[in-house]
Amino acid sequence: MEKTLQAKALTKVYNKNKKALDGVDVVFRPGCIYGLIGRNGAGKTTLLSCLTAQANPTQGEITYGGEKVWENAAVLGEICFAREMSPILFMGPNTYKVKDYLRAARMYYPHWDEAYAKRLVEQFGLEPKKRINALSKGMLSMLTIVLAMASMAPITILDEPVAGLDVVAREQFYKLLLEDYENTQRTFIVSTHILEEAATIFEEVVLLDKGKILEQGNTEELVSQFHYVSGKKEDVEQAVEGMKVLSQETMGKTKGVVVRCGAEQLEILQQNTTVDISPMNLQKVFIALTTSNCKEA
Amino acid sequence: MQGMLNEQTSIYLQIAQLMENDILKGVYQEEEQVPSTNELARMFRINPATAAKGVNLLVDEDILYKKRGIGMFVATGAVERIRQKRKGAFYENFVKTLVSEAKSLAIGNQELLEMIQKAQQE
Repeated sequence: MEKTLQAKALTKVYNKNKKALDGVDVVFRPGCIYGLIGRNGAGKTTLLSCLTAQANPTQGEITYGGEKVWENAAVLGEICFAREMSPILFMGPNTYKVKDYLRAARMYYPHWDEAYAKRLVEQFGLEPKKRINALSKGMLSMLTIVLAMASMAPITILDEPVAGLDVVAREQFYKLLLEDYENTQRTFIVSTHILEEAATIFEEVVLLDKGKILEQGNTEELVSQFHYVSGKKEDVEQAVEGMKVLSQETMGKTKGVVVRCGAEQLEILQQNTTVDISPMNLQKVFIALTTSNCKEA
Repeated sequence: MQGMLNEQTSIYLQIAQLMENDILKGVYQEEEQVPSTNELARMFRINPATAAKGVNLLVDEDILYKKRGIGMFVATGAVERIRQKRKGAFYENFVKTLVSEAKSLAIGNQELLEMIQKAQQE
């Protein structure tokens, strides 16, 4: 059970020149809830597909407990990648039924918990006989969540699980996730770009931007390094001199900047009473990091 | 446990503070059991590791203690320890802000004292 999922120097190139992933190194240790965060097109789904051998990396290696993941059935049963189901398949509308998917999952995942699946299907009000192409977007998301949870896989990956859900269902999902984690202590990797409500759930975050890892680590420790400094333009500029400024905005005679600094620098900053210093949340940190990454590029 | 989490302070600090509030108000008496890390995580919808960090902070300050296999309990003398600790913070966070705000509103000493007395009587 105590195995890590690891990607080393992972690169994935589509159509010869489009680099979806560019030298990604990442480690997922057991018993931790990870948030995989990135803008649309950042490479989140590609990374998850490579991790679960649904896409073949152009370069680099993926291992689980030291064993290669690619074409390794024993290992792949331990990893569940629940991605949103498509109501349309290549040969036409997806006319499989909810119960067909549940049956397939039961055969595929060695740790599958049938009673748990039944309970969730009922809780979410999913109709087993309904066809996939007749499900609403919310229901499709629910089914994906049921498959992920009941898989009981030591590594459970959910790609944008809440994208199609309304606020009430999202709340239900996070509650379910925490309850499950409390009981199973398995590793969850949850990709999302909806950060406001998810930030407190993730013990660790991996920020992906343009196919590269921007940051990874403990959510709290990461966020606490960022501060918003505002006040009179000259005062702010003086206060943050020599610090790493990620973004700035000026309004009339006032200015606000986002800085990244350690505890010592923060203390010095706080002694400066001419400026106002406020903490930031994950969403603001993410925006500051990706926009400053844009400028540098 | 009551209250909502805000974004102004770290979550784990807020968990510790909410727990302290409840101990001060007598919701949890000394030697009484407090909610577990998992219960806190579920209630506030936060990662259990974050909740544990907040709880451990109070363990380090002898406000809570762990009974192996049972759970977390309020230590004897916890109320007094919280009061002492918060008095320092009261000056830093409230009195200083109060005085500086009064200054920017040009409220004189006498007027400020009268306001405080009035508030005390309400």
